[in-house]
Amino acid sequence: MLMRSVFGAALALCLGAIPALAEYPEREIQGIIQWGAGGSTDTVARAITPHAEAVLGGTVVMQNITGGVGAIALNRVAEAEADGYTLLFGAENPLLYKVMGLGEKDYGDFVPINIIARGVPILVARPDAPFDTFPELVDYVRDNPRMVKFGSTGPGGLPSVVTAMINSVTPLDVTFVPYDGDGPALTALQGGAIDVMPAVLGAAIEGIRGGTMKPIALFDVEPSPQLPDVPTIVSTNPEFAEMLPWGPFFGVFVKKGTPDEIVAELVAAYAEAAQQPDFVDLINNRGFKMLSLSGAEAEAFLADWQSTTAWLMHEAGLTQASPEEFDIPRP
Amino acid sequence: MMDAIQAFLIPLLEPRLLGLIAIGTFAGIYVGAIPGLSVTMAVSILISFTFSWEVYPALALMIGIYMGGVYGGSRTAILLNIPGAPAAIATALDGFPMAKKGLAGEAIGIATVVSFIGGFIGIFALAAFAPTLSDFALRFQPRDYFMLGVLGILLVGSLSGESLVKGIFAGALGIGIGAVGMDPLTFTERFTFGIDGLRGGVSFIAVMIGMFGISEGLMQLHTVNTPAVKQKIGRIIPSWAQVRRHLPLGLQTSTIGTVIGALPGTGGDIAALIAYDHAKRVTRNPEVPFGQGAVEGLVAPETANNAAVGGAFIPMLTLGIPGDAVTAIIIGALFIHGLNPGPLLMTSQPDMFWFIVSSLVLANIFILIFGLTGIRFFVKIVELPRAVLLPAILLLSVVGAYAVNNSLTDVYWMLGFGVFGYFMKLYGYPLGPVILGVILSRLLDDNWRRAIISDLESPVRLMQGILTSPLSLALFAFILLIFLSKTPLWGLIFRRKQT
Repeated sequence: MLMRSVFGAALALCLGAIPALAEYPEREIQGIIQWGAGGSTDTVARAITPHAEAVLGGTVVMQNITGGVGAIALNRVAEAEADGYTLLFGAENPLLYKVMGLGEKDYGDFVPINIIARGVPILVARPDAPFDTFPELVDYVRDNPRMVKFGSTGPGGLPSVVTAMINSVTPLDVTFVPYDGDGPALTALQGGAIDVMPAVLGAAIEGIRGGTMKPIALFDVEPSPQLPDVPTIVSTNPEFAEMLPWGPFFGVFVKKGTPDEIVAELVAAYAEAAQQPDFVDLINNRGFKMLSLSGAEAEAFLADWQSTTAWLMHEAGLTQASPEEFDIPRP
Repeated sequence: MMDAIQAFLIPLLEPRLLGLIAIGTFAGIYVGAIPGLSVTMAVSILISFTFSWEVYPALALMIGIYMGGVYGGSRTAILLNIPGAPAAIATALDGFPMAKKGLAGEAIGIATVVSFIGGFIGIFALAAFAPTLSDFALRFQPRDYFMLGVLGILLVGSLSGESLVKGIFAGALGIGIGAVGMDPLTFTERFTFGIDGLRGGVSFIAVMIGMFGISEGLMQLHTVNTPAVKQKIGRIIPSWAQVRRHLPLGLQTSTIGTVIGALPGTGGDIAALIAYDHAKRVTRNPEVPFGQGAVEGLVAPETANNAAVGGAFIPMLTLGIPGDAVTAIIIGALFIHGLNPGPLLMTSQPDMFWFIVSSLVLANIFILIFGLTGIRFFVKIVELPRAVLLPAILLLSVVGAYAVNNSLTDVYWMLGFGVFGYFMKLYGYPLGPVILGVILSRLLDDNWRRAIISDLESPVRLMQGILTSPLSLALFAFILLIFLSKTPLWGLIFRRKQT
């Protein structure tokens, strides 16, 4: 018993004993990650933060709080003091909470410190699927209604948005098999349990390189530098161009009302951290597009994303409430 | 081949790496033993902590913690009836009764040695058959996962004790608790009654700590003045004869553990429970009945959950698919260190594979060393007067429940389930099936939906699928066999054959 508590105390000391200097931060900062350990948001948050710590001269203690599509973490930060000592590492989901009926708060209650990067959606299929390109997929689905199995991850997630885009251009009669994340769904794809999965490029890139998944189309206006041979959706179906580029993103946020000097310090720290070569490599290797936006640029990015996606989801009939109710303008 | 041997020798020849594995394993044993502190949590903290390190030392520390943590869960399960981690639940079922009889030292000794054996078999499977096993694991379809869940739920029969009806009630309650919260597949709220705090569901660890720790503490209040059982401190390291006697069972349950660990949708907790059930089925005449301190009931889960560690690395190293939550974080760590875990990792960086195998072997050896030292000191815990021990259990339970999500709500859940569990015990309702239900709830629910949706919501097509796939058919036959073997009909046929 004694051994255990001594050990616990020693561990706590080791982790928390790095001295804090200057005015801000004068104590350790809490970093709350909206998604589970090992996911993209988690990996990116944990990779950028040590660089930002170096600039800030402080410690950010990272913690994953999952559940409620990230709403539990968001509410936790929203309930904390607006003093810059609680950071939210979040993905795109909160921008849809209102229309999805998942919560009353979204990034409108926060100040973006850095919109770090954006993911690129890609449609992948199991390697022996009887189609190789998007038009072939459309033809195959037309001949075999309901037989093609698409992975999905709940309304508001990337697969549902990509599916809504596809349906707005060319409705597909397929069966959706639900998974709790693109990781498990891509695993199922490799085992043949589903045929097609709209995923973020980063999660699929190694599988594509290794031949365990087949790329069908990249949902972007230009080819990816990591996989230059994969055709973009606009090269076969130019009508998608008006909805693209689109992608899930992740960023660092603080509660609205945080003093401007502290916001400025955090913005500077994360902007510098995002330029570190090993972080840039990580972002490129995982197939993300670096954004590193802050201030008005970040606000504009968020507003634009929310408007495009909320209306797309609403028109696909996947929302609980109209975006109009929350003054989200039409794109 | 030379390269493989060279990579295998890296951690052996570099004292710093060897030291890190040792520190990791030691720390892991304690992280694993404290309920609420999980290996998953420790490894994610290490990602930030080892950020600026080279990849080898970072991995060495993480692997040590992982291996040590899985073993450490058995410690508190045996001594206090509070499993340090879900994978040690089955260990408490027979480990704690042994401690109550004064055999805590022997129980820890056996648990340590069989953990070592199980861990080693898992690593051997990883080193020798990784590509074959990961192909096999990927073949599991949603319907197969569902049937695996059904196989697990049949365990209610083994865990019920006196009344099967009460056991089924408890199991169903567990499945119900597991369903609370926002459904991660469709984001629909279930049993939340519009209460925000219920959206995230009921923390499974909180239920586990309450039901095992608090309810046991409350039960012991009935006998608070009787002196604690004196622990026999005779032979702690089990004799070779004893190990050899349980070796056949240990090999079977290690295989179960490795395969279930390699499946991307299941981990050590389910492996340990299924292994426990297997032990109960194949052990014809245990010296002590199961549930009252059977050594077999300790051997099965401890071999299986440690074998599941090697198993979990199989899909991770061959395909970049995590076998469980910890390997998912290690994949994240590899990305941060500039590696790209995926199907190409084995060919582009075979040294990484052999380095991990070698670190696992070393961590496993350290478990044996650290596990077998200090046992005499630990068994004293059970001898403490109840007036000291019970408040300590309460404190540990509260801290543990809070630590899971840093949430006070979880502490209330834990206390609530503790009191509820106490009354269940008083009225003869077994608690094991509740925990089993909570663990299996998601596995059953998610995969049933996936299976039936994939087959266009037609039960006929689903049955056709089961009957035409060899893997599904085998699982289905196995379920039928186990189910029928518990019915009176089976007894009738069996007896007729004998006469």
